Amino acid sequence: MIGTSDLPTLALIDERQLAGSSRFWRSVSRWKGWPTAAKWLGFFAIAMIYVPLVWLAIMSIAQSPLSGIPYPLTTANYAALAADSRWIPPLQVSLVMSTLVAIVCMVIATMVGRSITRMRRPGGVLLLTLLPLFVPGLTMGAALFIFLRTMLGLKMGYWSIFLAQLVWALPFALLLVLVIASRFDLRLLEAAEDLGATPWRRFWDIEMPILRPGVFGAGVFGFLLSFNELLRSLFLRGVETTMPIYNWAMAASQQSQVPIIFSLATIILVVTLPVMGVFFWFLFVKLDRS
Amino acid sequence: MLDRLTPSGVAVPAFLITWSLVVILPLLVIVLFSFLQVKSYRVVYVPTLGTWESVIDSGRWIVAVRTLRIAITMTLIELLLAFPFALWLAKGCKSKPAKAIIITLLTIPFFLDTSSRIIVWRSILGTNGIVNTVLTSLGIVDEPISWLLYSEFAVHFGMLGSYFPTMVFPIFMIMSLIDDDYLQASSDLGASPGQTLLYVILPMSLPGVVAGVVFTLVPLMAAFVEPQMLGGGFVNLLGNSVNSALQELKYPTAAALSTIVVALLGVCLAALILITRKRFDMSTMFQAIRR
Repeated sequence: MIGTSDLPTLALIDERQLAGSSRFWRSVSRWKGWPTAAKWLGFFAIAMIYVPLVWLAIMSIAQSPLSGIPYPLTTANYAALAADSRWIPPLQVSLVMSTLVAIVCMVIATMVGRSITRMRRPGGVLLLTLLPLFVPGLTMGAALFIFLRTMLGLKMGYWSIFLAQLVWALPFALLLVLVIASRFDLRLLEAAEDLGATPWRRFWDIEMPILRPGVFGAGVFGFLLSFNELLRSLFLRGVETTMPIYNWAMAASQQSQVPIIFSLATIILVVTLPVMGVFFWFLFVKLDRS
Repeated sequence: MLDRLTPSGVAVPAFLITWSLVVILPLLVIVLFSFLQVKSYRVVYVPTLGTWESVIDSGRWIVAVRTLRIAITMTLIELLLAFPFALWLAKGCKSKPAKAIIITLLTIPFFLDTSSRIIVWRSILGTNGIVNTVLTSLGIVDEPISWLLYSEFAVHFGMLGSYFPTMVFPIFMIMSLIDDDYLQASSDLGASPGQTLLYVILPMSLPGVVAGVVFTLVPLMAAFVEPQMLGGGFVNLLGNSVNSALQELKYPTAAALSTIVVALLGVCLAALILITRKRFDMSTMFQAIRR
C-alpha cells in the first residue's frame, strides 16, 4: 500500500466524502489554539491555588480580614497574634508529632521497602500497604476511633493522633523508598559479601547511600503530610490539639478569632513556601537528570 | 547466594500483622459496628438494623447523594482541566525550567493547611468581598451577588484548586512516558491531531486518567473543610455528618455513614473499571507503555 500512486487520490476521495459534521470536527481538531487553551486552563486552576494564598497575606495586614477591602492597613493582627499565646502549644505539638511521624516513616519505609523489592510476589503486600491511599480520611478516622475508643475502650490522646497520621503518611513514604530501592542492584551486596563485609556494613555502607534520596524523601513527605493532617487527627484527638485542628477551630468559630489565623498562616507560609520551593526544585531537577 | 542476602524474614510479616491490626481490622469493625447499638455509653452486641433504618428515615441518604453528586461533578471538572494541561505539560512545554516550576507549584499545595486556605475565599466571595465590591463599584451589578458565598457554587469553587494537582500528576506522568515517535508516526500516517488524541494518546494515557480519577474522587468523598466553611450550613456533606455524629456520640450512625462512603466509592471504581475495560484493553496498553 505504501508507495502506491493511488494514495493521494484515495485521500482526496476521503476528504470529499466527509459529511458536514465531520468537516466541523476536522476543523476543530486542526485548530491551532488548543495547546494555548490547555495551558491557560491549567494556569487558571493553579491560580485558584495561589490567589487565596496571596490574598491571605494581603488581608493579614488589613483591619478587617473578612471584609473584602484590604484597607486601612494595620499591623494589629500581628500584634494580637504576639499577645495571644494559645497558638504556641498546638504548634509545638505539631512540630514534635510531625518529626516523630517522619522518623518512624523513614525507619519502617526503609525496612519494608527494601524487603518488598526482594520478594517474588510483592503485589499483595504492596496493595495492603497502599490501601489507606484509597480510603477517604473520614472513613479511616471514624474506623480507627470506633475501633480504639469504643471497641477496645482506650483513651484517646497524642498516641492515637500519631497512629492516624502514620497510617496516612506511611504509604507515601513507602512509595518513595520503593522507587529508589527497585533500581538497586543486588549484585553490589554480593560483591560486598565476597569481599568479607558483615551484614551491617553491607547495609550501611553499600545499600544506605544508594537508598538515601528515597529515605530522605520519605521523611520529608512524612513530616509535611503529618503537619497538615486535619480530618483523621480531629476524630482521634481526644482533648489534644494540633496546629491544623487549632486553625480549623479558629476558622470555624466566631469571626473575632479569624484575624489571628490570617497572620499566623501568613507567617507559616512565609517560612515554609521558600523551603518547600527550593526542596522540590532540587528534587525534580535531580530526578530529571537521573 | 541471594537467599542469604535477603533481610531477616521478620520485618515484613511483623509489619503486615501490625498494619492489618491498625488498618484492615478497624475498617471491618465499622461495617459490623453499624449493625450494633450504643446504650448508655456501652456497646450492645446484638445485631440490629435500627441505625440503617434511622439513617434512611432521617434523610441522611440525601447527604450521601449530594456528596456523591458534588464529588463526581468536581472530578469531571478537574479531569476536563487537567487532561489538556497534562498533555501540554508533557508534550507541549519545551522549556525545562518552566516544567520544573509548574511541577513545584503543583506539589506545594499538598502540604499547606486547608482551613486557612479555604477561609480566605470568604473575603473574596462574600457579600462584602472583593469580587462583589468591585462589581458594585463598577456598576455592573446593583446589589452584591449573594450566591457567590455560602452556596454550592462556593463549595465547588473552593474545591477547584485543592483537587487539581492530584488529577494532573498521574496523567502527566503517564503522558511523559508516551514515546514522541508514536505521535510522529500517527501524524505521518495522515491522522489529524484529533485522531491522534483519540486513538493514540487517550488509550495510552488511560491508566493515568484512571489513577487521577481515583486519587481525586477518594479525598472528594471525604471533603470536610470546604462545605463547612463555604457552604454556610446549606451544603452538608458526609464528612460533616460523620463529624457531627461522632460529636453527638452516635457512633453506629458514624459507622454507617463511613460504610456508605466506602460503598459508594467501591461502586464508582467498579463502574470506572468496567467502562475503561469495555473501551480499551488494559493489558495491551500496559505493554505498549512498557515498550
